[in-house]
Amino acid sequence: MTDLAVDVLIGAGLLALAWQTIIGKSLFRGIVLFVVFGLTMALAWARMGAPDLALAEAAIGAGVTGALMLVAFRRLVRIRPEQSAQPALRRSRLALPVAVLAGSLVAVIGLAVVAVERDPAVAGQAVAQALTDSGLGNPITGVLLLYRNLDTLLEVAVLLAAFLAARTVFGEDEARSPTPSRREVPLVGALLAIIVPLTILIATHLLLAGSREPGGAFQAGAVLAASGVLLVLAGRLQPAAGLSSWPALGLTLGLMLFSLIGLAVMAFGAPLLALPGLWAVYLIETAMMLSIAMTLVLLFAGASGLRRGSP
Amino acid sequence: MIELLLPALVIFLLLNLAAGMVRVARGPTAADRMLSALLFGSTTVAILLILAQWMNEPALRNVALLFVMLAAIVSLAFFGMPRDDADDGEQR
Repeated sequence: MTDLAVDVLIGAGLLALAWQTIIGKSLFRGIVLFVVFGLTMALAWARMGAPDLALAEAAIGAGVTGALMLVAFRRLVRIRPEQSAQPALRRSRLALPVAVLAGSLVAVIGLAVVAVERDPAVAGQAVAQALTDSGLGNPITGVLLLYRNLDTLLEVAVLLAAFLAARTVFGEDEARSPTPSRREVPLVGALLAIIVPLTILIATHLLLAGSREPGGAFQAGAVLAASGVLLVLAGRLQPAAGLSSWPALGLTLGLMLFSLIGLAVMAFGAPLLALPGLWAVYLIETAMMLSIAMTLVLLFAGASGLRRGSP
Repeated sequence: MIELLLPALVIFLLLNLAAGMVRVARGPTAADRMLSALLFGSTTVAILLILAQWMNEPALRNVALLFVMLAAIVSLAFFGMPRDDADDGEQR
């Protein structure tokens, strides 16, 4: 009974938030509501027993995306003040048909999933057994790196492709990047001195925890990216024009190391991408975390390089 | 007793969130919305900690840790940006 009450409250809250976010009375209101929606969505994932998704939703959905939209809004205020005060969206004539279509699609898929009978003897149990033998306690990390490793490799490649696409579209324009305020906001230095080391600690914790419990490279990378975003916001890291060597190394490290190890095992007669042991999992996860963090920070800064800014 | 107390606490905190949502939705100033969104974050941390105990899912404490950190980032994105001094009290 109380379970149901909690779930209904979260579900109703999500629907209300989603509605309030898109009706768009003002842009800023929509952005704040979007962040709040992300937090509530993470609560919903937590309630459904999926802490991995809750971590990813909180870090990327609410944190990094929220900061990105706030920064974009600030820039809009500066360059086109009249547009920032306008309502975000006008309702399109297509809105109702699209909503009905999407709603019925969700309903059909939901009903189909409910109707499917569970077969007890599916691959899941065999995988769970094999993972216990491999020493990876977290089934999600295990499946991502041992069974779906090509998918995971390509996900890292997609991130790199997204970064390259963004660079190609926007070109080198330093004016687009978030320039910090000339006057130092009080307490920002003290906040950074506490938050940035803590973020690195949390990211490492999530990465190492990823082998036993929810966590892993993607969540840790997003957390690490958040500290980079903070440094960019505060002007400690400034966007730079050229692609210098260490950001380039960071961008490609995960992809290179994963492919290298995946190819190298073929020399020993193992199939492509069959990881040789737990050490390889940790190594690849660490490299992927660094690459994911670097890609997200550079996408946020809107530049292909970073340099130290004045404190 | 404790089995009933924890869900009751979660429901109480969720109702608090609903009250906070009114302030986010109605504003009127940007700072009102942002502050209530940050309070929203604090309440969700409390909810996650209780859920971790109630659902026996310790990993949710990591999520709570992350929420605390994100509040700092979002507030810095809001306050630390270059802006005109004129837009402080403006309604948006």
